[in-house]
Amino acid sequence: MLGRGLKRKLSDYEESMAGLSSAFDSSRGLPYPLKRQLVLNMCLTKLQTYKMLVEPNLHRSVLIANTVRQIQEEMRQESNQQPVNICPGIAPASHSYTGLESPGMSLQLPSGVGQQESHCCELRSVEDPIENSLLIVSDDDMSSAISSILKDLDFVEDISPPTCLVSTGDDQPKFPENTGLKLEDDRQDLKGAECVFGSFEISNSTSYLKDLAIDDIFEDIDTSMYDSDFCCPPLMPPRSPSLATEEPLKTFPSCNSSSANNIQICRTDLSELDHIMEILVGS
Amino acid sequence: MAVVARAGGDGGGSSSEVQWCFLQVKGAIDEDVAEADIISTVEFNYTGDLLATGDKGGRVVIFQREQETKSRPLSRGEYNVYSTFQSHEPEFDYLKSLEIEEKINKIRWLPQQNAAHFLLSTNDKTIKLWKISERDKRAEGYNLKDEDGRLREPFRVTELRVPTLKPMDLMVEASPRRTFANAHTYHINSISVNSDYATYLSADDLRINLWHLEVTNRSFNIVDIKPANMEELTEVITAAEFHPHHCNVFVYSSSKGTIRLCDMRSAALCDQHAKFFEEPEDPSSRSFFSEIISSISDVKFSHSGRYMMTRDYLSVKVWDINMENRPVETYQVHEYLRSKLCSLYENDCIFDKFECCWNGSDSTIMTGSYNNFFRTFERNMPRDTTLEASRESSKPRAILKPRKVCTTGKRKKDEITVDSLDFNKKILHTAWHPMENIIAVAATNNLYLFQEKVN
Repeated sequence: MLGRGLKRKLSDYEESMAGLSSAFDSSRGLPYPLKRQLVLNMCLTKLQTYKMLVEPNLHRSVLIANTVRQIQEEMRQESNQQPVNICPGIAPASHSYTGLESPGMSLQLPSGVGQQESHCCELRSVEDPIENSLLIVSDDDMSSAISSILKDLDFVEDISPPTCLVSTGDDQPKFPENTGLKLEDDRQDLKGAECVFGSFEISNSTSYLKDLAIDDIFEDIDTSMYDSDFCCPPLMPPRSPSLATEEPLKTFPSCNSSSANNIQICRTDLSELDHIMEILVGS
Repeated sequence: MAVVARAGGDGGGSSSEVQWCFLQVKGAIDEDVAEADIISTVEFNYTGDLLATGDKGGRVVIFQREQETKSRPLSRGEYNVYSTFQSHEPEFDYLKSLEIEEKINKIRWLPQQNAAHFLLSTNDKTIKLWKISERDKRAEGYNLKDEDGRLREPFRVTELRVPTLKPMDLMVEASPRRTFANAHTYHINSISVNSDYATYLSADDLRINLWHLEVTNRSFNIVDIKPANMEELTEVITAAEFHPHHCNVFVYSSSKGTIRLCDMRSAALCDQHAKFFEEPEDPSSRSFFSEIISSISDVKFSHSGRYMMTRDYLSVKVWDINMENRPVETYQVHEYLRSKLCSLYENDCIFDKFECCWNGSDSTIMTGSYNNFFRTFERNMPRDTTLEASRESSKPRAILKPRKVCTTGKRKKDEITVDSLDFNKKILHTAWHPMENIIAVAATNNLYLFQEKVN
């Protein structure tokens, strides 16, 4: 699957990125989430390029990683405030989502600009449901990607007096601090989400993801599942399975939606981001 | 263009604006620029008579100012090549399988203490102390060897004579006196000579080391910001400098736009800063690139030692070292780029590291921009000028015409629009003569010298 065809697509992607960045600068009409997604894609592309270098520039890598974290945090806050937007494919059931905004959930309204953001999010969620959920799910992918890049930057033989060499022998990927907060929020989301998503085949998805956490994602599998398997990259075997299942639950309902149409939309819209994530987690 | 919030004057500056004239340009005129010829650092020595440049090929070229002749006391002293030598060679680190670039990152002169000149030059990993000395006499009349160096036959030595010194053509020799190596895991970005003239510091992305000029096999680590887990790394050191008068004080800047001032008397490891300089972020100008453009690329103390100047991507800030919560002056270098940040991020220009410098009296500061533009800001006025280093304006004693970038829709004559700026022509390195109004501006592979117009 990862033949020359995919490489060609990546270069097309880069070309389209160049055009988009000038669009970002010149156009004031671009919705904020799209701008943010564009910046995020550029960051990930750069990080991936640096990863391939023999000696990546530490200064640049840190700056880009911080930008990615900042965007991640922003998207997390948005997703925590609006769990309803995660499963827009189930339009008829959307009315029942208001039930989620019950005491159990903490609704922190974003200030100022955030109001506009939430509006945009809603719009986007209708047009591009999978992309929205994609972003949320790939947070931990990005965290682990950033972690692995920064870890690689730590040279094996550091000549200064060793203060702590735990990281070199430690295989457990440690997430940035804000991940802990996110997991807590996710568990809260999960409780609410389960009520709504109970009608879907969660148990099957769960077990599938457990397997995926360990197996190579490049195995030839059913494409409808393949579209969502970036949720569970093989980089995280030490992570407890419960964490692995929490995130994709947000996407599975939309991916497993009864409407075949949605799946078609999924695949075309996902293709570009898909490539990026594959390369990030697969190499 | 200059936004100043100044409290109190700092001595009278000249009331008339300095007009700059072209003096000289060094370097090839070819359109094709060899990567190795790209100038990577420029530095005047303490008297301003010598000007050193380092390039990506690891070479150092030193220019010397010609003495003004008595017949023309106001003649402009030209700078001519004094010495050229290969300071650093490309290396290969076998342990990590990495190539070490020979590019000269920084040159710092030592104050002159005898007839010879000393400078420190550094690449990413190794600092070298070079001695540049003149030889204008040679000894003749040796007993044991001929003039051409061959040993004389013993039976030919019939008398004992004392060798005499005869004049010869001036020869300038550069010899490496010390090599300070193996102390930096990460890339060295700064070196700074202490006011005690015996020690100096070298800074890389995560650590700062203190050296004694005489000792090469040991250095002291005085700052270490490496986290126990590299995954938690969010900030790197971008520049460091010793205070010009207090030999125990130094500052270092970070990629988050902060400056820390440290006192070496307080502790051996200066991880705890004595002062922390940070300007609160303006929430209205926040963008995805806010952190990246806040990264400080250069920090320089004023000659007086009372102020320090920092350069980030879009502005230059002057700080009073007694006030930590905000700078006393902020100058916008090329604010018109703020709306282009995404494109500049995409083509990596947003990571360009511009330097800045003070004039001798600390009344004016200078920094570079794109399209071979550079800017001077007179602090007392406030007044700012944009000038261009180009071959077109390179006629002897030609006065430099101020340039203007058009930020609105209507472009006036001689103005240049933002979209037509050449982002490959960037002026990252500039230097100002310590006492006179002579400036050196490095434009890729060319070194431009400009002098104040003398009536």
